[in-house]
Amino acid sequence: MITGVEDYLAQLRKELAGCDSATIRDAEADAEEHLRNALEKVRQTQPAVSEAEALQDIIQKYGLPEEVAAAYRDFETGAPRKYAPVKQEKSKKLPARFFGVAADPRAWGALFYMFLSLGTGIAYFTWTVTGISLTFGLLILIIGVPLGVLFVMSVRGLAILEGRMVEALLGVRMPRRPPFQEKKKGLWAKLKALVADRYTWFSMLYMIVQLGLGIAYFTVFTVLITTSLALIAQPIVVYVFHYSAFGDINGVPVLLNGWLMALGVIAGIFLFFGTMHLARWTGKLHGAWAKLMLVRL
Amino acid sequence: MENPILVDKKFQKELNAGIAALVLLYILSTAEKAMYGYQIASMVAEDRQSEPLIKQGTLYPVLHSLEDNGLLISEVEPSITGPPRRYYTITGAGHEALARWTATWQRTRNFVDSMLAGAKNDNRS
Repeated sequence: MITGVEDYLAQLRKELAGCDSATIRDAEADAEEHLRNALEKVRQTQPAVSEAEALQDIIQKYGLPEEVAAAYRDFETGAPRKYAPVKQEKSKKLPARFFGVAADPRAWGALFYMFLSLGTGIAYFTWTVTGISLTFGLLILIIGVPLGVLFVMSVRGLAILEGRMVEALLGVRMPRRPPFQEKKKGLWAKLKALVADRYTWFSMLYMIVQLGLGIAYFTVFTVLITTSLALIAQPIVVYVFHYSAFGDINGVPVLLNGWLMALGVIAGIFLFFGTMHLARWTGKLHGAWAKLMLVRL
Repeated sequence: MENPILVDKKFQKELNAGIAALVLLYILSTAEKAMYGYQIASMVAEDRQSEPLIKQGTLYPVLHSLEDNGLLISEVEPSITGPPRRYYTITGAGHEALARWTATWQRTRNFVDSMLAGAKNDNRS
């Protein structure tokens, strides 16, 4: 017997144990939205009916937690996604796998994310550090409290935004909406609930760490990509434009001559594709990290 | 034989897998503005006496799946009465898919009807 929406959600969570955390989050959000909307409707149209009774009727139509969980599990394993675009067969040959990375949108997405993360990292860090110090500094005055609530809400918003970027560029499923907060609470109670929530602190930590990661990603990938492109373009730069691809030292141009130049071009090509692999791999790793920090369970 | 209720449920579930997607696309194609999950599910709901054919809770993963395939787009908006609502709108690709799927459905229905009618006639003769 399910007595309330919270009870239903708890059972649903239990039924979905072991699923992808983003799937659980989606299932919870869907169920919560549906059940609360349905209850509100009953409250308006039949105020005499008790909440528990109304909920029984609603759940009868919505489905028991195990039925709903089964539907999300199917969705996760891809059973009803018959209309999903067919994935390209993975080639087993090593050269095809190595160079095929250039055709993988995920590798380009990851590479783009790596460049972007410098900007977002600086922005997140600045915002979070400013917010924390302003909140604690002004907590002594009363305006610290509303400021704190506003700031924490903004971090949650940023966490969702970052989640969307991670999903779009790194292909890791992230939640589509913020965790629901019960309405009709005072400002103080709201702040307490936010402070007690692990998700708030993990999001902030993510924002702060993102600066370091962003700088590292940007530096490493800028160096790797420019080096590989410089190596590949060297013959053109030297023979067409009569210019040293690597600049000069004390007026003496740095040149790779003859077969060394050819070797450089080959090394550049390998470096470029290797960098793409590295970007894809780093993207996967960062996606897992983002999921750990930004998804509340 | 297994419990007939369970067998029936399994059969119904397998049938529903595609039907739900078609019905959802149709409902959203007739909607004048974006609809949220509960509104859509209410339109799918039937009379309250019998066990519903499609449980409303199973519609939501289908909505996500349709969105992942670019047939729908969605947007979350806060609501005054409860949790934020996700509003769904059909896309151009969604309209095209609906037209194709409707044709597939007509063919399927005709096929099944003709097979079942044929079976009946065979029994009679």
